[in-house]
Amino acid sequence: MEIIISNDSDIPIYEQIKDQLKTKIISGELVSGELLPSIRSLAKDLRCSVITTKNAYEELVKEGYVKTIPSKGFYVSTVNKELAKEEQLNKIQDLLESAINIAKMNNFSQKVISDMLNILYEEDK
Amino acid sequence: MENILEVKNLNKQYNDFALQDISFNIPKGMIMGFIGENGAGKTTTIKAILNIIKKYTGEIKIFGLDNRQNSAQINAEIGVVLDDSFFPEIMTPADIAKSMPKIYPTWDSALYQKYLQEFSLPQNKQIKTFSKGMRKKLEIVTAIAHHPKLLILDEPTSGLDPVARREVIDIFQNFIQNEECAILLSSHITTDLEHIADYITFINKGKIILSSSKDDLLNNYGIVKCTEKEFNQFAKTDYLKYVKNKYDYEVLVPNKKEFPKKYPIKVIDKITLDELMIIMIKGEK
Amino acid sequence: MIGFIIKDLAMIKSNFKLLGLLIIVYLFLGLSGEMDISFILPFMSVMIMISTFSYDSYNKWDAYAVTLPNGRKNSVKAKYLATFIIIILMTVITTLSAFLITYIKTKTLNYPDIILNMLGTAIGILVVEALMYPFIYKFGLEKARIGIFIVVFGIVIFGGFILNYVDIPDISLNFLENYWPIILIVIISLMLYLSYRISLRINLKKEY
Repeated sequence: MEIIISNDSDIPIYEQIKDQLKTKIISGELVSGELLPSIRSLAKDLRCSVITTKNAYEELVKEGYVKTIPSKGFYVSTVNKELAKEEQLNKIQDLLESAINIAKMNNFSQKVISDMLNILYEEDK
Repeated sequence: MENILEVKNLNKQYNDFALQDISFNIPKGMIMGFIGENGAGKTTTIKAILNIIKKYTGEIKIFGLDNRQNSAQINAEIGVVLDDSFFPEIMTPADIAKSMPKIYPTWDSALYQKYLQEFSLPQNKQIKTFSKGMRKKLEIVTAIAHHPKLLILDEPTSGLDPVARREVIDIFQNFIQNEECAILLSSHITTDLEHIADYITFINKGKIILSSSKDDLLNNYGIVKCTEKEFNQFAKTDYLKYVKNKYDYEVLVPNKKEFPKKYPIKVIDKITLDELMIIMIKGEK
Repeated sequence: MIGFIIKDLAMIKSNFKLLGLLIIVYLFLGLSGEMDISFILPFMSVMIMISTFSYDSYNKWDAYAVTLPNGRKNSVKAKYLATFIIIILMTVITTLSAFLITYIKTKTLNYPDIILNMLGTAIGILVVEALMYPFIYKFGLEKARIGIFIVVFGIVIFGGFILNYVDIPDISLNFLENYWPIILIVIISLMLYLSYRISLRINLKKEY
């Protein structure tokens, strides 16, 4: 499993960990029932504090991606993949909406924006 | 006992300096970063915790026990690196290996030897031939070889190069894998703490000005950079401190997500512990 | 406490060569002439032990010792015992050497003289330990040196004055004569114990 943390990012480290684990769970890289590393060993290997990894796991528990079994650890729970994908789509929609808002405020045409989207999408591949 | 160390209303008076109402706690399994300028009172606080100074008022509890009444019991389970105080430098690591098993019942000779090798510290050379970094490493190795439950470390990374700092920090993180343990780590180099500390206690001129979870600080605090005109609109309750520069104002705000919703500002930066320390010390209210 | 003694002895191990050399010099002088330097080994050993205080204070060992289990107490106890051990050891070595020298020179052995002589030396040097250590614990080695100098100087002047100008009544001390080694041993033991208690009290309260 790979987790990549940026210390310079504006996104808090616990959120970076949470998002990456979530992606792995949705994509199936982490399968339901799999034991996750303990908060302490994860903190050590990512060189971050224990509270940070604890926060990430707690958020994942709250959102239903991970379940905790006391004195055993954290396990990947069975997630409804469709629901999870929908959640991600909603997120994309939110971000696109704010991009479109800026475009409209500055009178950019729809074509400019969709072209830009296409180019960016291809670039990333 | 949830807290491994509790300091409550610690006061110590010197002629030209005083510790005033120092209070903070370290919960089990956590690393507390103790930051402040040189001379802010870090070492004095640590000396009071360790009974090196005895005349003070207030209460200090380690493992739930009063530190002045139960020092023998407490000392057996703490590991210590002091800023400027260790075995005499005419001794060698091998000499330490001979005396320590008779001082700590729980001394782990194999662990000590393993770390000496890992850090390439020579057995039979006098400590005075060591570089500053090698000395610090030896002090750290000596502090953890009896499997203590609390590490109290005064500037343990000073004098270490970046590679050695990384090695030492790995040791601390290994140590904290046992959730019954805790670390108090003082430093004026905040980058070490930025990564591994769970809590930050910040001392200035003998007073604690902040003691909080590090993630709360770094994720919520921010620095607003703005013009004088913008600054004048801010309510005093919405910011903590500000610094007036030649071209701009730097304003420390406790909630960087809410602040831009209330005031139309252009720049709000996330904060590092260094910047926090500087603006808390230099800034005005 | 044994750990602290090992630490103190480890500190002086580099001086063992010097002491070994002194034994050779002592044997050589003893065999070749009349010069008696039998006091030198015990005396040097107490001096070497006193020098460990300056190494301790240079690296602020005492503050570190406080953080070790029973460190405040055991570091003092160990210093007294390490000094005692090394003085006694050196006295025994010197005594044995003295036996050897007299035996080689005269083919006879004069036990009582040699033993009494060395006992006197050991006691004299233990007095130095008993007097000096509390001063060192209170004031540090540098100031203690001056302090002890003034005290010894004062005793000598005062004693000389008394002996010169005051008539000491001529009490018969005959009954004491056979017992004086034992009496001396008792007195020095008391002195050492008292000195240790004072040093301990000082160190238990000290802030570093």
